[in-house]
This record gives sequence, structure tokens and C-alpha cells, in this order.
Amino acid sequence: MLYLKIVKEDLPKLFGALRRFGEIHGPVRMGRFYAFREVSSVDEMSLDYTRTMIPPKKYFTRPRERILRVSRERGYELVGEGPRRLVLFGLHACDINAIKITDSIYIDEYPDPYYSERRRNALLVGVSCLPDEECFCRSMGTDYAHDGFDLFLHEVGDSYLIRVATGRGEEALEGADFLRKPEREDFVRLAEFERRRARMFKKELLASHLPDVVDSLHDSESWKEFVNRCLACGSCNLVCPTCRCYEVSESLNVSLKEGFRERRWDSCFLRSHALVAGGLNFRPTRLDRFVHRYNCKSGINRATGLPYCVGCGRCTVFCPADIDHVEVINAIWGVVR
Amino acid sequence: MIYAQEFVPKPAEIADVRQMTPIEKLFRLRFLNDEFERSFRYMPGQFVQLSVYGVGETTISICRSQTRPGPLELLVRRVGRVTNALHGLKEGDVVGIRGPFGNWFPMEDMEGSDVLLVAGGLGMAPLRGVLQYVLDRREKYGNVNLLYGVKSYEETLFKEEVLEPFERDSGFESFISFEKDDPFYEDLMRRHPDRLRKGVVTALFELVDRYLDPKNTYAVVCGPPVMYRFVMRELDRRGFSPRRVYVTLERRMRCGVGKCGHCIIGGATSITYVCKDGPVFSYFDILSIRGAI
Ligand SMILES: Cc1cc2nc3c(=O)[nH]c(=O)nc-3n(C[C@H](O)[C@H](O)[C@H](O)COP(=O)(O)OP(=O)(O)OC[C@H]3O[C@@H](n4cnc5c(N)ncnc54)[C@H](O)[C@@H]3O)c2cc1C
Ligand code: SF4
Ligand code: SF4
Ligand code: FES
Repeated sequence: MLYLKIVKEDLPKLFGALRRFGEIHGPVRMGRFYAFREVSSVDEMSLDYTRTMIPPKKYFTRPRERILRVSRERGYELVGEGPRRLVLFGLHACDINAIKITDSIYIDEYPDPYYSERRRNALLVGVSCLPDEECFCRSMGTDYAHDGFDLFLHEVGDSYLIRVATGRGEEALEGADFLRKPEREDFVRLAEFERRRARMFKKELLASHLPDVVDSLHDSESWKEFVNRCLACGSCNLVCPTCRCYEVSESLNVSLKEGFRERRWDSCFLRSHALVAGGLNFRPTRLDRFVHRYNCKSGINRATGLPYCVGCGRCTVFCPADIDHVEVINAIWGVVR
Repeated sequence: MIYAQEFVPKPAEIADVRQMTPIEKLFRLRFLNDEFERSFRYMPGQFVQLSVYGVGETTISICRSQTRPGPLELLVRRVGRVTNALHGLKEGDVVGIRGPFGNWFPMEDMEGSDVLLVAGGLGMAPLRGVLQYVLDRREKYGNVNLLYGVKSYEETLFKEEVLEPFERDSGFESFISFEKDDPFYEDLMRRHPDRLRKGVVTALFELVDRYLDPKNTYAVVCGPPVMYRFVMRELDRRGFSPRRVYVTLERRMRCGVGKCGHCIIGGATSITYVCKDGPVFSYFDILSIRGAI
């Protein structure tokens, strides 16, 4: 890893340098919440934000998108998309780890052409953060990003310590004469920051045996009290940075000769998710679907060795029924009550 | 470079359509691109994603073995949007195919052993590929027995093929159960009381027992989900090792390649994609994947 340092006043210069790579998108305050948006200056961003509602996955697999053009004469073809180079500025460690998980799914032995292309055209710049009361990334081991980004900015007093993880990240900084070599002091401040941050986490999920516990206690009575409150609205899926299910549909335009195949984010809370022909449903009840989601989130991703839940807290914060991810699992486990 | 081999359906022409039952048709397909046609390799148990232009895509098992020369064959039951549209197509029409996807039955491991095929209804489609494969390499396998559960003669798939053993030596034995009153099968049962039963497919096990050597047999099972539990019980009772019993599972599928998440089964310790880790699973696998059957 290459380490560099930038004083905060020079951030606009860094912004200018990264702009050569492509459009810059960063966290912007929108009323009570934050969202990743295109920004034209450092000032538009809130780099001390907590979490966005919609995770950065929206840049790689869109909430709704056309994936194939269909013609009754010519058949199917990919919907062409001009390369759009993006800098995602200000990603938290949990979201970077989540992208590693979606990468492992969308860029595997059968790479998704859209996802892989967009991913290839994106430069990821992380920024350090402090947890609020819903963050539990520390429990999940995802509070630090060891890789999966190009640049990572750690706040150390009036400067940022930059970790440069990739050649592409280094290239993006070429000619940036405002960057310095960090001193020992800066690493000491980084260590202090990390220690202080570690002490700030309020939520804890005992994750050492998470998959085994959730799996073996799938018929625990404790699920029921949460399920009864759940509205099966699927919001928790939409805001989750590692949820990636999609549904597909196809239609022709009025000419009845040409049309599109589309996909859109799907939710395993919807009745149709596991429905097959003949009306047979492999997860017919809300309980089945609820337990399925917790199983899915509690598994370990084989490619990254990371849990599918990165502890970002979005599902808890944005659940209209106030269902708390950590409370559910701890209740199943008997840690709470 | 955009890598889209598995993503964009390839055009294939319907070479021939045959009405097999009131709700099922057999489609024989030839890829428009000759080179692709030649390079398209598959094994029994694999499936394709079949598209009807402008309507959508659905998952269909390949129902023949490539040991036999000839085009790709798909047996399709008319149940919904895509399959209805497909049933409206005719020779010369063009459809889209992605695949082949998924794993296959362990045909090589099965060499040297007897083979027991247990099919229920539409489950005969993927098993027909296994049967053809075994018959085309007949010397490599021991006794081959087919247990096939159907509703009636009319709804029986691949009638000539599954009834052939009643006419001549065809390299395997066929046992058939039927549920409805059915003059054809009732007559056949009178002539072959040791080969037919009225009832469900499990009623056939006692008939096949004297031809079975469970220690040296691979069982291959495909049918509606409710069937599995009962068939597994019969196989268990006869001492079949869970590692020598194979099933193919059906789930809702959209992508076929491990992305859309619809076919995921299993608990947190056993998350499995039916489309790419399956659709073929051993009974041993299934015991450790919660919710598989
Ligand atoms: C590995 C595998 C192999 C298969 N092999 C074969 C085969 O060889 N032959 C074959 O005929 N079939 C096969 N199938 C089954 C086939 O894929 C399904 O029957 C398919 O869904 C039919 O597609 P369709 O678009 O015509 O039906 P759909 O329009 O998807 O509807 C089918 C049925 O699903 C239900 N359904 C689906 N979506 C909804 C919804 N949104 N709301 C309510 N109900 C809904 C309904 O009960 C409906 O009748 C296989 C499936 C798998 C997974
Ligand atoms: S957001 Fe809350 S209410 Fe909605 S499906 Fe998820 S747990 Fe249930
Ligand atoms: S399950 Fe909840 S806390 Fe975990 S990654 Fe998804 S949204 Fe974040
Ligand atoms: S069919 Fe999409 S993940 Fe299996």
C-alpha cells in the first residue's frame, strides 16, 4: 500500500485531479437523509455523513434498467451503453466491502455485461467515518476495507491520510503536487482515530457463529414476534447494499415489432419471489420469507469470506415497522431477553 | 470488451413441433449459426433459458442426449405466459436460447452400475436424456429400470420410447403406474401384471425389487416436489446410499447463472443456487441443504 497525505484545504485540488478520470459522485444531504449524487465541488458533499438511504449498488445494477433490445426480426441484442467513467467519492468501508460481495456475484464465471462494464469504469474513493447508534459493521468485520477501493481517505486532524490501493488510483493522482509523504505522527493519529472509533460502536452482534446459529434456530419461536410486525414491504431489501435479486420482464412497443427486456430490483419478501408454475410456492408464508432473508444475510460469501451483511444499519433505519436487524438475530440467539 | 456469451439469447429455428399430450409439445431446434450449432455441447440434466421474442424467457430442461445425432429437443408444458406463446409457434419460427446451464447427472460415475430411473409426470423430460445416454453406451452400464408415474395414457410422455420394452428387447425394463381409469393401461396391466400398477409411482417399487441390487445401483429421480419425499423413503428403505441417489430440482429462475437470486435455497450455512450449483443434486447434498425438498 502506498500512503500519501493531503491537507484538508487542498481537497478541491484533489477533486480537480479526480475529475480528469470522470464524473464525480459523492454523498449529498437531501433533507433528513443522504444520497450519492453527481457533485461539481467538494462543498456540495457531506463527507461526515452517516449512511445514504440507497447504497452505491445503484451505480452498477440500476433499480430498473433495460438489458436487452428485442426485435421480432432480429432477435436479441445488448442495449448499448456509452462508457461513463465515474468516481464514487466518499464510500464508507462497509459499502466498499458490500461492493466486493456484489462483484463476486456479478463478475464471476458468467460476468454480467452491464455490471462488469460499469464497475470497470468506476474509481472508488473511500472515506473514514464514525458510527452512529445503528452501525454494527465492527461486529461483521467490515468496518475496515483492506482492499476493494482505489483510494481511501482517513481523516487525521486537519489532513487526510490517503491509502492508495491500486495502480489506477495512483495514476489518477499523477501530477498532484499538493500531496505529501505522511509522517510518523500521521500514523499515530490514524491509530488514535481507529481506537476512538472502535469504542464508539453501541450495537453488537455476536457474529462468530452467525451462520450456524441462524440456520440451526430456523424454527425458533422468537422469529414470530418480529414477523407479526413485518409489513413484507421489501424496503429492507432495496436499501441493503448486498441485496441483488432482480426480476425480469419483457414487452414490445406499440409497433409490436420491437421492444425491451428489463430487469428491476426484486425483494424476497414478495410472494412471487419463490413462486413456480402450478402456483407452488417454496416460501409461501411471511415467516418463510422473513427467515429466508435472515439466512441469506447471515451466510458467508464464498468468494470474499465476508458475511453477506456488512452491518451498515440501513435495513433497521429504513424499516417502517421498526424491525432491528441486530435485535432480531440476538433474540433468535437468546442474547437479548 | 463486453462479454455476453451467456447473456444474449442465440437465435434458433424451430425445425419441428410435435404435440405429445394435450398440454405438452416437443420442440426440435436448430441454431441459425452453424458454428454455434456444432459447438453447442450438453449433458443430461442441463437446461436452457428459452426466449419467445417480445414475450420473455423461461427455464426448460434439455430432454435428449447428445449421444444421439440430431437437433436440440425441449419438451414444454403450457402453463403460463412464455410457454403459451411458445405453443403458438410453428416450424420455421425463431426463438432465443441461452445455455446450456447447470450441472448434470454423473454419467461417468454411474458406469459399471445398474441404473434406476424414477420419473413422475413432466419429470420424464430430463430423465429421457439420461435414458438415451445410457442406452447409447449400453455396454458401460448394468441393468436399467425405469419407474414412470403418469395420470393416464394420454398424458404419458415419449409413449413409444417408454412402452418399447413391452414390444421388444430394448435394453431396459419399464414399469408404469397410472392414476386415472384408463383402458389402455388396464389392458396392458392384464398382459404384464408384473410391470404396471394403478396408483402413484411408489407403488412400483415392490415390482422392481427382484431386479434391484441397491448396493450397486444409481437412482436418478425427477418429478413434482411432493414426489421426492416419498420416493426417498422407498430408496432409503432399500438401503440406497444417499450418495448414489440424484434428483433434479425446479425453482423459479430468471437469470440461469447465479445472479437474480430467485433459485437460492438453503439456510445460512448452505446457501446454494439451483441454477449453477444444480439443478442436479445428490440426496446427500439435499440432506445438508435446508429447504431443498
Ligand atoms: C431446472 C428447470 C427445468 C425445467 N424444465 C422444464 C421442462 O423441461 N419443461 C417444462 O415444460 N417446464 C420446465 N420447467 C418449468 C418451467 O420453467 C416453468 O413452468 C415456467 O415458469 C413456465 O414459464 P411461463 O412463463 O410459461 O409461465 P409463467 O407465466 O411464469 O407462469 C407459470 C405459473 O407460475 C405461476 N406464476 C408465475 N409468476 C407469477 C406471478 N407473478 N403471480 C402469480 N403467479 C405466478 C403461476 O402459477 C403460473 O401459472 C423447468 C424449470 C426448472 C427450474
Ligand atoms: S423493511 Fe421492515 S417491514 Fe419491510 S419487509 Fe423489511 S423487515 Fe419487513
Ligand atoms: S442486512 Fe441490513 S445492516 Fe446488513 S448490510 Fe443489509 S441493510 Fe446493511
Ligand atoms: S436463476 Fe438467477 S440466481 Fe439462479
